Amino acid sequence: MPAVSVCTEAFRIPAQAMAKAYGFPGFQYVEVPHPVASLSAEGLRQRVEEVLPRVLDILGVEA
Amino acid sequence: MNEAQRAIEHCYAQGWTDGLPVVPCDSDQLDAMLARVDRNPEEVLLGMPQLGRSVTVRLAAINAVMAGCLPEYFPLLVSAWDSLREEGYARKGIWQSTTGTASLLLVNGPVRQEIGINSRGNLFGPGFRANATIGRAVRLTAMNALGLRPQELDQATQGTPAKYTACIGENEEESPWAPLHVDCGLAPEVSAVTAMTMRSTAHIEARHTAVPEQLLTDIAGTLARTGALLHQTVSACVVLCPEHAHLLADAGWSKRDVSAFLYEQSFVPRETLDRTGKGAVSRISLWRVARDHPDAVVDEGADPTRNGIHAMTSPEAVLVVVAGASNSGVSAVVETFGPRGGRPAVTPIPAQAPGSTQDSRQESRT
Repeated sequence: MPAVSVCTEAFRIPAQAMAKAYGFPGFQYVEVPHPVASLSAEGLRQRVEEVLPRVLDILGVEA
Repeated sequence: MNEAQRAIEHCYAQGWTDGLPVVPCDSDQLDAMLARVDRNPEEVLLGMPQLGRSVTVRLAAINAVMAGCLPEYFPLLVSAWDSLREEGYARKGIWQSTTGTASLLLVNGPVRQEIGINSRGNLFGPGFRANATIGRAVRLTAMNALGLRPQELDQATQGTPAKYTACIGENEEESPWAPLHVDCGLAPEVSAVTAMTMRSTAHIEARHTAVPEQLLTDIAGTLARTGALLHQTVSACVVLCPEHAHLLADAGWSKRDVSAFLYEQSFVPRETLDRTGKGAVSRISLWRVARDHPDAVVDEGADPTRNGIHAMTSPEAVLVVVAGASNSGVSAVVETFGPRGGRPAVTPIPAQAPGSTQDSRQESRT
């Protein structure tokens, strides 16, 4: 199943290091503003709506 | 710069240090380390499939040299890796976590005297080569063999000073009770090491009382700390100083009694949990959340007659050991991620072949 990795901006460097460890230094993933753990349900929904175009873009879905 | 300094600076330039200088390792030193164990140098001691990397006996030995270990420390260190593997949290990724844990190694048996593991004064502090370098070797290996460097694959938000080194002996000679490895079925003359995943150590200042219940209630105040609660409940290793241990044992308390009492006194009322926004548990992440969280489930405590929870998972999740100097009433609570009431990862250390225990510091002088 096609999947897209999502992480908050605070994890950019670990995400890049992880991608490098797997041999995919240019691996594409979606960054969202930090933090997420303390967001309300509404805040989380907004975050999802903000990044959805980027997720679809990485999946190769054309508008 | 002289040659030694240049070699040390080379290690810094390669990114092979924990911030402190390392001992440059050559093949003779590596061979001396490997000669102390009956293990294949390519054997994997700890694999991290999520990274595609692993710690082999050889990589552990190179980093042991770099950390300042003597060859005679290596059997203990290899058993420590076996214990870390059995304990399980390291290979599941806890060393990469924002929590920022360290690995505490607890050493039992005659190996403490053989190689000079401190189990008395300044237990968690500096001054003892075996404690300092064996604990350091674990972290250095994680950084160099697994690539768990801070701010990269080690995502610790703050970490703990124990990440530099955390290796202690149990003070069996001044304990009124059987030591941990004997409780777990090993003979007293067998040496053992037990790895635990730890967060903080908190001092318990209790020089004021000779009443067991007062002492233990004082200690339990730290066990019931809401700040420790990420998941539903937690575990701890309570390191009693000999004075506290004797106070309890003289009054007829066994270690099991102490664990049971501390578990009972780790009760946190629901009102206290609610005031910190931790009154419930997420049914998805199992992290503590506020009651109004969409995934919240109010977790019933173990005691149906009281509204609240015991911060400790079970009496067995409160491990009691004795260490430190016999000079005052200062004990410690080590907050652990495990064991959560299962058998601690007590791992025997093979006895060294006769003749091989010769002090390698003597060899170096000849």
